[in-house]
Amino acid sequence: MHIPDGYLTPYVFIPAFAITIIFWAICLKKVKLTEKQVPIMGLLTALFFAAMMMNWPVVGGTTAHLLGGASMGLILGPFAGGISVTIILVLQAFLFGDGGLTTLGANVLNMGIIGVLVPCAIFLVLNKLVGTKGNKLYAIIFVSAFAGDLLAAVAAGTELGLSQPVFQYGLNVAIPAMALNHSIIGVGEGIITMILVGTLLKLRPDVLQQSPILKRLSFFQNKEEAKE
Amino acid sequence: MAPISTKKTVLIVLTVAMIFVLVGVFVLSFSFETLDKQAGKLGAEEKPVYKAPFADYNIPGLDNTWGALIVGVGGTLLLLVMGLVVAKIVRRRKS
Repeated sequence: MHIPDGYLTPYVFIPAFAITIIFWAICLKKVKLTEKQVPIMGLLTALFFAAMMMNWPVVGGTTAHLLGGASMGLILGPFAGGISVTIILVLQAFLFGDGGLTTLGANVLNMGIIGVLVPCAIFLVLNKLVGTKGNKLYAIIFVSAFAGDLLAAVAAGTELGLSQPVFQYGLNVAIPAMALNHSIIGVGEGIITMILVGTLLKLRPDVLQQSPILKRLSFFQNKEEAKE
Repeated sequence: MAPISTKKTVLIVLTVAMIFVLVGVFVLSFSFETLDKQAGKLGAEEKPVYKAPFADYNIPGLDNTWGALIVGVGGTLLLLVMGLVVAKIVRRRKS
């Protein structure tokens, strides 16, 4: 999903940069990490860089990769998660030429902002609406992660569709094409996020308990009540 | 079940990351993204404004597979360090 230089017009990549800079300013102001979250942020940043190296076949001979935004957003919180994804994208652009420099703002907007904030927001809404008892927890994690990938792809499709005359297809072709292919990797993202959160819930509940998003789980709130 | 130590967590996550790198290099290395397919149909071309030193996850002068493996392992460790440094700075600034 990394958009290279030359695919977007300045009318698209300049506003994307502006949104990204505002997001970064908010992130740096709002982000909070506990001592236990520090190593987890480093580990997740490394893990999802490695995960992005796997190109999964989707449809029509094309491939797609995991984004990691849902996992990082849910486990670290939206601001620390956004910073982690941005670190990966900046390094990929400067060292490996994966994603352009003029399009870095758009790539951060798609994968580091939409790909992180959407899963967090959907998780919080579904947590309130349906709760997280039993398998419902995994269902809402899956839906949140899937939606994050899908909307990140829709955003990328919108940017490409608006970049006329480079992408003459326009929005009506660019958005469905990106959304269809990335909805398939969205299923993978949902499964990986479920496995990762489920594993941490068993092995490192102390870390998840400090997540601004997952600390709202009834699992932790019941424990807090029992302590009181 | 008691939480595992941070050392064990690091060991487990880095092992999984290295498995991802190996799969990415030896099994799922072929990349042809949707936007590349669309661009190809339209004749749109990449116009890089900067030459990355390890473009396409390769090391100049080295076989593609070995280059990608070194870049994958090195990149993973570099991102571990960068993530830790940024997290520590954030933690220190806020505490």
